[in-house]
Amino acid sequence: MNPVKDSEPYHHLQGTVPASETGDLRVAQSPVLELRDVCCAYEPNRPAVEHITFTVLQGEILCLLGPSGCGKTTILRAIAGFERVVAGNIALSGQLVSSPDTLIPTEQRHIGMVFQEYALFPHLRVEKNIAFGLNHLSRPQQKAIVDDLLALTGLRGLEHRYPHELSGGQQQRVALARALAPRPVLLLLDEPFSNLDPDMASRMRQDLHTLLRQTKTTAILVTHDHDEAFAMADRVAVLRRGWLEQFDTPEAIYHLPTTPFVADFVGQADFISGLVTNKLVVTEIGEFPNTKNFPTGTKVVVMIRPDDIHIVPTKGADARISARQFKGSENLYTIQLRSGQIVHSSESSLSMYEVGTAIALRVVATHTVLFPQPPGSGTDT
Amino acid sequence: MNTATRFNAPSPLQWVSLVTAAALVLPTGYIMYLALTAAPAVWNRLWSTRIPELLWNTLSLATSVALTTLVLGVSLAWIMVRYEFPGRRLWEWAVVLPLAMPTYVLAYVYAHLLGMGGPTEQWWQAIMGSEAKLVSPHSFPGVTLIMALDTFPFVYLLARSALLNLNVSFEEVARACGVPPWSTLWRVTLPLIRPAIAAGLALVILYVVSDFGAVSLLRYQTLTYAVYQQMTGRYDQSAASILSLLLVVMAIIFLVTERWFRRRSRFYQTSGRFRTSTRRHEGILGTILITAYVLLVFGASFGIPAVMLVQWSIAAVAQGALDARFFGFIWNSSFLSALAAGGAVLIGLPLAYLASRRPSRLNLACLQAAYAGYALPGPVAALAVLVLFTHFVPALYGSVILLLVAYILHFIPVGLQSMEPALQQVTPNVEEVARTLGCTTRETLRRVTLPLIQSGCITAWVLMFLQTMKELPATLLLRPVGFDTLAIRVWQEASEEYYQLAAPSALLIVLLSVPALLLLVAKDWRGRDRGVIT
Amino acid sequence: MASFRRVLLALTFILGIGGLSQDMTSSVFGADKLVVYSGRAERLIKPVLDEFQSKSGIQIELLSSGTTELVNRLQAEGDHTPADVFLTNDAGSLEHARELKLLRPMNMREVERAIPAQFRASDNSWIGLSGRFWIVVYNTHLVKPDQIKSLLDLAQPQWKDKIAIPNSGSEYLQAGVSVIKATFGEDRTKQFLQGLKTNAGSQVYQKSSQIVEAVAKGQVAVGIVNHYYIYRHLAAQPSAPIAALMPDQQEGGMGAIMNVSGIGVTRASKHVDNAKLLLEFLVAQAGQKLFADLDKEYPLHPDVKADPALVDRHAFRAALVPLARLAELREPTLTLIEQVGLR
Repeated sequence: MNPVKDSEPYHHLQGTVPASETGDLRVAQSPVLELRDVCCAYEPNRPAVEHITFTVLQGEILCLLGPSGCGKTTILRAIAGFERVVAGNIALSGQLVSSPDTLIPTEQRHIGMVFQEYALFPHLRVEKNIAFGLNHLSRPQQKAIVDDLLALTGLRGLEHRYPHELSGGQQQRVALARALAPRPVLLLLDEPFSNLDPDMASRMRQDLHTLLRQTKTTAILVTHDHDEAFAMADRVAVLRRGWLEQFDTPEAIYHLPTTPFVADFVGQADFISGLVTNKLVVTEIGEFPNTKNFPTGTKVVVMIRPDDIHIVPTKGADARISARQFKGSENLYTIQLRSGQIVHSSESSLSMYEVGTAIALRVVATHTVLFPQPPGSGTDT
Repeated sequence: MNTATRFNAPSPLQWVSLVTAAALVLPTGYIMYLALTAAPAVWNRLWSTRIPELLWNTLSLATSVALTTLVLGVSLAWIMVRYEFPGRRLWEWAVVLPLAMPTYVLAYVYAHLLGMGGPTEQWWQAIMGSEAKLVSPHSFPGVTLIMALDTFPFVYLLARSALLNLNVSFEEVARACGVPPWSTLWRVTLPLIRPAIAAGLALVILYVVSDFGAVSLLRYQTLTYAVYQQMTGRYDQSAASILSLLLVVMAIIFLVTERWFRRRSRFYQTSGRFRTSTRRHEGILGTILITAYVLLVFGASFGIPAVMLVQWSIAAVAQGALDARFFGFIWNSSFLSALAAGGAVLIGLPLAYLASRRPSRLNLACLQAAYAGYALPGPVAALAVLVLFTHFVPALYGSVILLLVAYILHFIPVGLQSMEPALQQVTPNVEEVARTLGCTTRETLRRVTLPLIQSGCITAWVLMFLQTMKELPATLLLRPVGFDTLAIRVWQEASEEYYQLAAPSALLIVLLSVPALLLLVAKDWRGRDRGVIT
Repeated sequence: MASFRRVLLALTFILGIGGLSQDMTSSVFGADKLVVYSGRAERLIKPVLDEFQSKSGIQIELLSSGTTELVNRLQAEGDHTPADVFLTNDAGSLEHARELKLLRPMNMREVERAIPAQFRASDNSWIGLSGRFWIVVYNTHLVKPDQIKSLLDLAQPQWKDKIAIPNSGSEYLQAGVSVIKATFGEDRTKQFLQGLKTNAGSQVYQKSSQIVEAVAKGQVAVGIVNHYYIYRHLAAQPSAPIAALMPDQQEGGMGAIMNVSGIGVTRASKHVDNAKLLLEFLVAQAGQKLFADLDKEYPLHPDVKADPALVDRHAFRAALVPLARLAELREPTLTLIEQVGLR
C-alpha cells in the first residue's frame, strides 16, 4: 500500500506543444489568434463567457472542451465575428478584429468554419460548394484547388452530387473541403463529429487530424467529448460556465488537472479525503506527497484515476469489490473501502474477480493531484 | 442560439420593414379611427336600424354553415381515413376541389340550378306535382347550403389530418375497457380531434363572415355585404366604417380562436410514437353506400357546377363570347394579379426575413402587423384603402395603385405563410458559412439565401396571384377605368342573370385555381401526415 | 439563381409600368379619348356609346359602377379625375354633383334646342337624356291590373310576400321615395315604407332586371321598377306573363314618378371638345332615337317618338316634383329609409 512518491512536476507535459508533433512549427511560433480578456453577453449583465484569454500558435490544433452551455460555441462565434465582444479583444494574425467597438466583418477575417450541421448549400453541387469561397479566382484556378481538395478528402467521383445525395461522413468532408479551399488562416470546427455514428466519428477524427497536419492548418475544434479533444488537440482549453478552467496540453489536463471540475470532466476520477501531516498527505488508501505544500493539519482531497489503482485479492482485507463493469478492453471495478468511500480500479479485461471479493489496493500514481477540501464536505478519515 | 441581439445597429432593412408594417396597419387603423369618431347620431341610427338585423343574419348564417360543414367535413374525413374502397385515393383529393371554386361562382350556378323554373325545380315538379316547391337559393337554408358546399373542405382537411395523426391506442384502450365502437367514437375519438375540428370551423366561420361574392349574388344581408352597400349608396362613409369596425372585431375573434385551437390540436397530436388505425375493407353494400355519399357531396359541391360551367361556356363561345374584350379581361386580371403578387413578395420578404433572422419583439410585431389583412374582408380592405387615399393622397385615387395596395394588404398573409417556412428552413449557419467564405451580407443574400427561398417565394407568388385573380369586392370598388377583370365579369353578368356569358370567365378562374390548390394540399399532406397515408 | 434575379427584375419593371400606365394612356392616346363614368347598367348604355365611338372615332373608356359611388369617386379624385363625362340614372345625383362643383356649365345651342328646360340644370351643367318612370310590373297570371291604383297600395297587407323591390341603395328608389315624401308628407311615406319592407321580406334586389325576372317567373306577383326593364324583357321574351302598370293616375293622384338619366361634363375634363361631340350626339334626334329603340326609354327630345310598345307619353300624368329638387330631398329621405330599416 505504498504509493510511488513523486513530487517532480512533469515539465514536458505542460505549456508547449510536444516536440514529436510540431516538427518545424517551433521555429515559427507566431500566434495566429490571441484572445485577451474576452467577454461576450447575449443579454446585458448575463455574460455567456467571461475573461477568456488564450493564444493559438501557427499550425496548432486547439480544442475547446466543456459541457454544453459552457460558452465554447460562443467563443468560436466571437472569433468568427458572428458575436460581438463586450469586453477584451481578439486579434487574428496580429490584427485587432474584435473589441467592444470593433467588429471586422466575418468575410474579412479569412477564417474557415465547419458547422455541426455542416450547413452545405443545398442548391449547389459538391464542386460548387467547395469552390464557393474561391469566387475571386479564375475558373481553371478554382478547378485545380477543388480537384486537390477532392483528392485530399477522398471525395473524388462525388463532385456532381447534391448535398442531400451524400452520407453524413461525405457531407462532413465536403464541409471541410469547402472551409479549407480559400486557405483560411484559421479553421473553426463546431462539434464536427457529433452528427456521425461513433465508428464513423473515430475514423473521421483520424482523417481530419492527418488532413490538418498535411495542410498545416491552424484549427480550433469545439467538442464536449474529452476523448475527441485528447485525440485531436495539441492543446486543450477546458471551459465551465463561461470561464476558462484550464488551458494546457491534453496530457497535463488529464494527469495534472488544476480544478476538481477538470479532473472529473476529462475522465473517471475518485476524490479521497486526506489530512496533511508532516510532509505527507495521509489517506485511507495510503500516503501521498504534499505537492502543494499545504500546511500541516489542512484537510485535502486526493484525486486518483482508476488506472492508478490496482487490486490484489487479499483474504481479510478491508476493501470489497462492489461491482464490475466489463468494458471490452478493460474491467472497471467499483470498490468500497471500509469507511464507505467508493474508488474505482481499471484492470485488464482478463482479470476477473467476483463481486464481494476482499481486496488490497496498490496505488501506483506517478503524480499526485491535491485540492483543498471544500468546506463542509467529504468524510473524515 | 439566441440571435436577437447579434447586431445592434438598425440596418436599412430594419427601416424598410418598419415602414412596411406601419403602411400595412395604417388603413385598418384609420378606418377604426373613423368608426370610433363617427357622430353618435350615426351610431344610434345604425344600432336602432341595421346592426341587430345584420349581426343576427351574419351570425346565424355562420352558425348554420358551421354545423353543416361539421357534418360533411368530419364524415368525409372519417370515411377517407378509416375505410378502404375503390377509388379512395382519388376521392381523398376530389373532395378538396370545392375550395377552387370562388363562392360567387358556386352561388351563381346554384341561383340557376335551384332557382325558380330552374332544372332542379322542373325535375322536382315532374316527380312531386306542379305545385311542389324547392328551397330557394336566396333563402336562409339555400345560402347555408351553398356556403357549406364551398367551405366544408376546411373542416375535412383538418379533421382528416387529425384522424391520421391520432394514436389508435386511445381507441384500443377504450375498447379493452369494454366500450362499444359507437360509444368509443363519441367518447374518445371525436373529443381527441375536437381541437382540429374547432380550428376548421373557425376558418369556415371567418370565411362566411367575410364573404362578399355569394351573399351579394344571393342577396343575403350580412355585415360584409352591408359595408359594400353603405359604401356604394352613401355620400358619407362613416356608416360603412362603423359596420367595418364590427366586422373586423368579429373576424379577429374568429382568427384568434382558430389559431388557439390549431395550436392545441398540435399539442394533442404529439404523442410521440404512435400507430395509426388500419382501414376497414367494406363489402359491396358498404362500398356502394360510401361511394354514393361521397359522390353526392362531390357532385353537389364541384362536379355538377363544373359541368354546368363547361356547358354554358360552350354555348357562350358559340355565341362569340371569346372576343377581344374577353381577352382584355384576361389580360387585366393577369396584369393586376401579377403586379399585386410581385409587390407582395417584395414587400413581405424583408418582414419575413427579419422576423426569422432577428426575432426581436419589434420584428415579430412587424410581421404580425402584416397579417392584419386576414381580418379585413374585401369590402373593408377596399374601404380602408379608399378613405385613406381620399383623405391624404387624392391624386392617386382611381389609379391602379389603390387597387394594388388593397390587394397587397388583403393577400400578403397568404404569401407570408409560404415565405416564412421557406426562410425558416434555411438555417442561419448556411448564411454564416458563406460569410466565413468571404461573402458580404449582400452577396450572401444573393448567392445563398435568395436561391434557397426561391421556390417558397414562387409558391407565395402563385398563391397570391390566384387569390387576386378571384378577388371581387375590392376590385369592384377600386378598379380604375378600363380595368374590368374576369371576376368582375362573372359577377356583373351573373348578377344580371346572363349565366352563359359569365361562364367562360368563371370556368377559367376555376381551372387556374385547381392545380394551385392541389399543389398546396399535397405540400400540406406531405408535411403533416408523417408518411402514414397508406 | 439567375432566373430568380430575372423574375425580380421583371417584377420591378412591371411595377414601374403600373405606375406609368395611368399617365401613358392619357398622354399618348389623349387626343381621341373620352373617359366615361357611368352609373347606368352597362348593358343599356354601352351600345349607345359604341355607336358614338364608331361614328366619331373617339375612343370611349367606360367605367360602370353605382351612381353614388361615382359621385364619391369624382369628389375624391377632384382635379385629378380621369373622367370627362358623368352619366347617371338619376337627376338628383347629377344635381348633387353640380352642387359639389364637379360639373362644368355648358353653353350649347344644340342642347337648349333639343332638351326642354325642365330636364336640364339651370346652368346646363347637367342635361337629361331620357325619361323613365318608376312604375309597377305585375304578373298577368297572378294579378289583375285594377287591383293596384297607387304605389302606396303595395304597402297593404294583402301583398305580403308578393312584391319585389330594389335595395335601398338604388338611386331611383331614393328619388321615388323623395317624390312620395314631397307629395304625401313624412308620416304616410314612413307607413308606406314600413309596409313595403314587410311585404317584400327577402325579395330585395340589386338590379331591376332581376325584379322583372322574378315577376315573370311568378316568384312574386308585383314589383316596382323603372319602366324600360319591363319592355326590354318583353322585347326579348314576348310571351313573358308580365305587364306594366302606370300607378297614381286617379283623379288628384300623385302621377307617375319620373326621373331622367342624364349627363354632365366634369369640371376637370381635359377633353371638353370630345365631350361636346358626345353631348351633341346624344341630344340629337338620332341619338335620342337610340335611347328610345335600344333602351325603351322616353326620349326627351320633343320630336322623337318613344317605342310604340310603351304607353303613350301623353296618355298619363307625371308627378310634379322638379328634378333639381331631388338632390336636396335625398338626405332626409335616406334618414327615413334607414329609420324604417329598408335593406
